[in-house]
Amino acid sequence: MKHRVVITGQGLCTSLGRSADQFWRNLLAGHSGISRISLFDTSWLPVRIGGEVENLKPDELAREFPEAESERDRKIWLGLDAAASALADSGLPRDDFQSALLIVGVSLETCFLEDVTPVAQMSDAMRHFAGQILNKKHSRRLQTPLDRLTQILGDHYGLNRGRYTNCSACAAGAQVIGDAFRRLRDGTAAVALAGATDSTLNPLALGGFSLLQILSTENDEPERACRPFDATRQGTVLAEGSAFVVLETLEHAQRREARIYAEVLGYGSSLDAYRVTDPEPKGRGAASSMTKAIADAGLSPDEIDSINAHGTGTQKNDIAETLAIKQTLGARAKAIPVTANKSMTGHMIATSGAMEAIASAMTLYTRKIPPTINLACPDPQCDLDYVAGGSRDFEGRTVLSNSFGFGGQNATLIFRRFEA
Amino acid sequence: MRTRVVITGIGVVTPLGQIPGEILGGIETGRSAVAPPAHFDAAPFACPVCAEIRDFQPQRYVTESKMIRLMNRDAQLAVAAAHLALSDAGVKPGGSYAPEEIALYGATGLAGLPLAEVIPLVKASTGRDGQFDPTRFGQAGLRAVSPILSFKILSNMPLCFVSICENIQGPNAVFTPWEGQGAQAIETAIRAIECGDAGCALAGGCDVKTHELAFLSLEQHGLFASWRQHQAGVVPGEGAVFLVLETADRAITRGAQIYAQVSGFSLRTHRMGTTRADTYDDVFNGLGLRPESLSALVSADNGDVESGQDERQALSCRKIAAATTLHPKKQCGDLFAAAAALQVGLAALLAARDGGRVLANCFGHGSEQAAFVLTPP
Repeated sequence: MKHRVVITGQGLCTSLGRSADQFWRNLLAGHSGISRISLFDTSWLPVRIGGEVENLKPDELAREFPEAESERDRKIWLGLDAAASALADSGLPRDDFQSALLIVGVSLETCFLEDVTPVAQMSDAMRHFAGQILNKKHSRRLQTPLDRLTQILGDHYGLNRGRYTNCSACAAGAQVIGDAFRRLRDGTAAVALAGATDSTLNPLALGGFSLLQILSTENDEPERACRPFDATRQGTVLAEGSAFVVLETLEHAQRREARIYAEVLGYGSSLDAYRVTDPEPKGRGAASSMTKAIADAGLSPDEIDSINAHGTGTQKNDIAETLAIKQTLGARAKAIPVTANKSMTGHMIATSGAMEAIASAMTLYTRKIPPTINLACPDPQCDLDYVAGGSRDFEGRTVLSNSFGFGGQNATLIFRRFEA
Repeated sequence: MRTRVVITGIGVVTPLGQIPGEILGGIETGRSAVAPPAHFDAAPFACPVCAEIRDFQPQRYVTESKMIRLMNRDAQLAVAAAHLALSDAGVKPGGSYAPEEIALYGATGLAGLPLAEVIPLVKASTGRDGQFDPTRFGQAGLRAVSPILSFKILSNMPLCFVSICENIQGPNAVFTPWEGQGAQAIETAIRAIECGDAGCALAGGCDVKTHELAFLSLEQHGLFASWRQHQAGVVPGEGAVFLVLETADRAITRGAQIYAQVSGFSLRTHRMGTTRADTYDDVFNGLGLRPESLSALVSADNGDVESGQDERQALSCRKIAAATTLHPKKQCGDLFAAAAALQVGLAALLAARDGGRVLANCFGHGSEQAAFVLTPP
């Protein structure tokens, strides 16, 4: 028996706000969360802008999560904040936690260069450093395993039905929700906490990505720097943030009279098998992901009413995604609204898919599509109905959300307005 | 009725070799790859040894030298093991299965970045006070690093390289960073086949724990504690292992060799306040194991004295005995994210050769613990 799966809790910690309500208001208003990076000195880097979360206070969060007190990696604090918000928003009774799945998306380990510096300086660095560790003089971890947030959340809340840590890059946020959806649909569990966290706003990650020349260097106009589908786009903008949802089977949610934001209807994933550096230019892999999700949802392409695009603002991605949408939806592609949240949030890498899942659910819940900002001069090769110039009323029943990962991993989720 | 999922291909690149049968034979005859590290002095560490692959040549599996340069060692090993697994199964994407039908689920370990690759960047970024200087990093540090560094740090890259080299385009996910996540990759593959999301799946993992940063990290995470207390403990290893899984029906239809059927699996989360032996027992309970005699057991004992005791205690409490027990991690090293696939692969080989029920324990660091039961097809 297949169970229906619904979203009953949402939590976000982004440059557009630290609550789902605030985030959604800013998104609908077309506010940009991109600004000059203040977390560290970027003055000598080619990229000096990003989507930074303001007022993240680890010391306050540590009162609720004392087990995380020694953590320095911002993505852990971001994740704790959003996950706690999602659980609170769902109103899920504590008794239900132990039977809940936990699936967390992340992308890459944070390397603290200041910690590696002593190793690099000494001829017998290994001996020195190992000695310090053994004598407990060096307590800072050189590597924080990517499952660290999963462990803290799982132990803190007693989420013991299985804990998964997915590191599928920019597809991770969508994959974790898709994976949780599938497991609930097939009856493996009745409740899941799924989401992702990421922060690439540190010297090595920002520097490394800037070397790949996919980031906008328009440092003087941060709020205009990310322009998905615009002919003048120069690249994407990195951001930090986290987004979590509580998923439940419909029976479970209805039994406790939970608020339902939207129903998760389908999930698909695919691989480009092309290059690690670029998306497949014709959008073949992306189209495959969308087609699988539509089939998984039991829909036809004609029943897709809106698309929340991956829409990074890079030259290659926006064209490939446009082509993929056309391949998947045929003539209908130009008739339905497409929006790109990253124009305001920046690219939160692993978190993006989970953030966009929440934006998709809120689109259905509030009947409004947020705009794609900075889209003044559409690229002739990007010729769909992008929602520019302000939010748009929406009476459709379904939203398809795309996430395409660095390296060629693709994931697509489909949501439907909840109807009992 | 549940779909029968079988293993039809095993690809291994390990310190004990690259031919599954020879690795099994080597383990049975006591061959060991455990030795002091070849490329650094392990004297500062409590653990003096590791298990390295001495003769690996990535160009045997990847013809484009440019692509090899983009890969870290984890990715190179993964590409080789995936190729060997698909060849062993006789699966060529576009042949028996369309590329979109083949799923790819894998696990990768802690970021496999040898210090040698970071040190030029760090040295160029060090200020006069000996501390990391962000200004120098921007001015000189970034120039000292290759633009391809990101490809070596991102944890999903090994699987992406596999998909590119083998033209695999189906459902996918990458898990991280321990053995339990390797088991989750196999479990997710089985579920994808059972629900019809994939016709065939390549599942496994890769990991390299034989360099100095890995030793430092393992030391910091307390994995070498057993060495200090008992002069015995986990032996860090390196390798990649992938399995080809498909339905029995499809395997039979295409005339594939079948090593074994996955007749059961159980994954459990270690709960705070319980012992590891309790968790292992919970795993066995999930498999429905009662007091019984198995034909073989692939033990998870990696040399860590306490975890080995916990495994034996759980087996003893449930009165599970095995005619043959292998301890691959003690001879081949602990492959961490790749360990589960090796455990299951060896169990499949034993089931194919000797028959009976074979238990593969996939216990390790982290909260997620698992076991699989393999039987002859």
